[in-house]
Amino acid sequence: MKLDVPALVLDLPLKLSAEIAVATTVEDDDADSSIPAALRSWLVRLRLLEGVPFGNLVADTELLPPESIRWFYIDRRWTDALVMGALSVGTVNSDDRTQLAANYDAIRTELDQEERNARRKPGTPRFAGAVDAISGFVLRSQAVSGWPALHVRAMSADPVDVPDDRFFPDDDPNRMRLLRLERLAPAVLFCLFDGIPKVVHIEEPRQGVQFGFDPGDQEGSFSYQPRDVTNFQDTGARLDVPFRATPGATGVIDIEQVQKDLLARPDTHVNDVDNKLDSAEYALELLRFPYRQVFGDPKGTKINVVFRPTIAYADQVATFRLGGV
Amino acid sequence: MTPAPGHFQLYTHFTPALTAGDYKFTTTQSLSAIDAKGALGPDQLPVDSLDTHVTVTSPRYLLPPEQALSTYPPAGTEGAYGARLPQVVIKRRTLPWERGVAGAPAGTPWLALVVFAEGEANVLTNVDVAQCVTSDVTLPGTPDVAKGSCLEIRKSMVDTIMPTQKDVPLLAHGREVDLNDTELMMGDDDGFLAVVIANRLPLAITDAQGKEVPVKYHACLVNLEGQWDKLLPSAPPHQRFTSVLTLDAVSVAYTQAVYDQKAMGMPVSPKVVQGIAAHGEGAGPAPHAADATTRHSGVLSPETVAKANTGAKSWVHAIDADVSVGTGAFVDLDPGILIAALDPVLRFPVLLTWSFTSIGDTTFEKLMKEVDSGLLGTRGTTPTTPVGRNPLEVTETGHVGLDQRTRRGDLVRAWYRGPCLPHPADLTQPRLTLAHTADQLRVVVPDGREDLSLAAAFEIGRLLALSQPSMISALMRWRQSGYQVARGHAIWDTIIADLGIEGVVMNASPSIGGLLARSFAKATATSPGGVLGPPRQVVTPGDAMGLDTSGLGSVLQNFGLDIAADQPLSSLVTRLRDTQVPRVPLGDLARPAANAVLTTTLAGAQEQVLTQFVAGALSTSILTRPGAPVGAGIPAIPEIPGVPGGIVNGVPVRPHDQPAPTGPDALDEALHGPTTKRKGRRS
Repeated sequence: MKLDVPALVLDLPLKLSAEIAVATTVEDDDADSSIPAALRSWLVRLRLLEGVPFGNLVADTELLPPESIRWFYIDRRWTDALVMGALSVGTVNSDDRTQLAANYDAIRTELDQEERNARRKPGTPRFAGAVDAISGFVLRSQAVSGWPALHVRAMSADPVDVPDDRFFPDDDPNRMRLLRLERLAPAVLFCLFDGIPKVVHIEEPRQGVQFGFDPGDQEGSFSYQPRDVTNFQDTGARLDVPFRATPGATGVIDIEQVQKDLLARPDTHVNDVDNKLDSAEYALELLRFPYRQVFGDPKGTKINVVFRPTIAYADQVATFRLGGV
Repeated sequence: MTPAPGHFQLYTHFTPALTAGDYKFTTTQSLSAIDAKGALGPDQLPVDSLDTHVTVTSPRYLLPPEQALSTYPPAGTEGAYGARLPQVVIKRRTLPWERGVAGAPAGTPWLALVVFAEGEANVLTNVDVAQCVTSDVTLPGTPDVAKGSCLEIRKSMVDTIMPTQKDVPLLAHGREVDLNDTELMMGDDDGFLAVVIANRLPLAITDAQGKEVPVKYHACLVNLEGQWDKLLPSAPPHQRFTSVLTLDAVSVAYTQAVYDQKAMGMPVSPKVVQGIAAHGEGAGPAPHAADATTRHSGVLSPETVAKANTGAKSWVHAIDADVSVGTGAFVDLDPGILIAALDPVLRFPVLLTWSFTSIGDTTFEKLMKEVDSGLLGTRGTTPTTPVGRNPLEVTETGHVGLDQRTRRGDLVRAWYRGPCLPHPADLTQPRLTLAHTADQLRVVVPDGREDLSLAAAFEIGRLLALSQPSMISALMRWRQSGYQVARGHAIWDTIIADLGIEGVVMNASPSIGGLLARSFAKATATSPGGVLGPPRQVVTPGDAMGLDTSGLGSVLQNFGLDIAADQPLSSLVTRLRDTQVPRVPLGDLARPAANAVLTTTLAGAQEQVLTQFVAGALSTSILTRPGAPVGAGIPAIPEIPGVPGGIVNGVPVRPHDQPAPTGPDALDEALHGPTTKRKGRRS
């Protein structure tokens, strides 16, 4: 092999400035590609808006009133600008900028791909291909602060023939991946989906099996639906919870009275065996299941139902017509 | 058969074969034999009985950490747990039934979960196990730990919040779950668990305005051994609602004079109670007020009786009597002994304790059903217009009008839109081209305002990168070495192309650039001649000097001399010496018309000289003033009256008839000082 060394050396600067880097498919989290791995993972997290001040995500407090959920799509141009800003830190002179310009397309393509792998479980195969669209929601509610570790599930198809309360396995093919799920503030939940979901479930955290009652309309009153202990079906009735009347016994349940109430109802079958309530039956009556809120895409929703700008184009046109004509 | 995933089976109890304690197994053997005389008597074949001592252990004062699989509500959390009963899941299924409770029916669990708010009871930690139970109770057997925790609670509070003797059996049950169901199993090994539920809902309290205030609750798994009779035998009367605690901040009206009266032991009637007292709505003393004095001190200190809150909603309503409002702070006699007799303090060993904060009893279902759903950019259903700022401007594109202070200081409105759009992003449009500064991304929209969305994004990205030193160093390292990756690819591609091998795809590793550069540098260093070519000579030899006649000819011509250059040097010199130099007649200079340029120049020069003189006259005093910098070390410029000198434009000006001094330059002296060393170097 004979190399024309002088020509090679002379052409090198020209070649370098003109050479456009080619995006490589990242095979390993720790492998460098067009960009060092540490930098890449940081930029991916930056593109998922990690660390971006909340005021820059939601520009006005009125846009996120208390007890509200706001859905959105992610502006790719905005996240691109974010990455450009971060990369500009590394450019000192115009030569660096030339290099960056040559590398930028490859970097961006890689980040597009790596975004999908941001929340990948270690050991699972890597996702290839770019994210086509990212959507998400901001939830500002007492539900976020009161129920830590909410479950959020996004489905790419709306299963019309199955009830909304069905059991979804982890590997359901319609399940969409969450790119980010984070509490930005005690009562603000921020979530990003890998795509645009059809149905989103927000579910009470499943911290094992829970026991409790439903709050009644009156302050301090609680009720429950007695169940048939033989087949676990609701009897359809609703019983008020008895509380101990002792002064200071706030929230202390009078279990003896619960027992009497249940024994008085033959449809619960509590008294079948030994004419008394036992601990398993008591637990069964008190079981409470996590609630699942389903956010769907109902057909025929007009945009003005879900989005009401204060400055609308149509209004502006009307205003100018009235003034001008 | 184990339950299917997502299912579980409930059991009333799991009774252990043996409850905890010391056991003695006695083995006896009786032999019978017949000899020639007939059957042998039993005393003739004695066999010693064998005693085997067995101790069945079980946690008593401390729950081993691995035994508590989960607690609900999770420890240390804050949440709306008001409608849920606290519970603890225990790994060993038989644990709640492993000890017998004296006086209780068989199969009664010895564990109970007690939930109390701050102030209702105390948890003492690091107490000798002998002190962990009420003083009149002793638990036999060897304790499993030397020091434990205990719950210190008044008998009245035991009656108020702890389960009754009939409740305790209902509050523990067993559960069988599928081993593969990680959510239900929670790390158990055999799929059988024991659960202890509390008998109390951890409700939040309300303040005077009716707003809910978070309450910190403690949950304690207590040991009931030996103290079964301390629990209420049966439930007190019930009601169909629970009293809601109200936080009542009462103002202070407790004068010094009254305090003196109290100090003297005289009866006083304090009007208002100092401090914060909580009382139930409808009935019942609150956790704070529920200490013994409120319940029993009616007979203790009648002289401090006051007509306390008589409102129908106060806790006094239930007692319906005058009560002492003494809270220790101003009950002057020490009621401790009397209280101890009437309302003793009990102690229960605590096996596990955790605390959580309850913020109310709103349910997740209610909150989520009422949540206001919309696309980002929509105001709430009942938008409130804030005072003192511009109304919210949201366009259909999702842009929001914001106040902006420009770089020049003007306050204008600009458009801003964060990364969250109310409409799907256009994925077909080309991507944003690389910008190097934020200003490249500023846009002016047709309405005249600036759209700063992307510029703001750029700045945030830059600042976030700058805020992390590790990212700056990573970027800088990449700048130095990372570009060589691209470089390596470029070189490698060239080599492949030069080799002319078609159909060969070589995947250059990312480090090839660095390796290539390093080997290139090494090769260059070891044999520069072989890689870069022969080295250049250190000194370039100069050319021999010669007289180029063609150049000389043009010089002569330009001087206006008609002399041929191509002749011997000696004859050339002779010719030059003989040549008449053309001169301009001086008389012509006097004619202004003919020499306008010259006269103008001369007039200018004259003007300049004049200016110098005038300036010199003005600055003479500066130069020659005592203490002037110029005068240090050198003779001052002699002052000639009428003909001053000075410095104009940094140049010393002297009277024109004054001879120039031969010494060091005055200005240099002024600038550098009169150091002889410096002068010597310059000269």
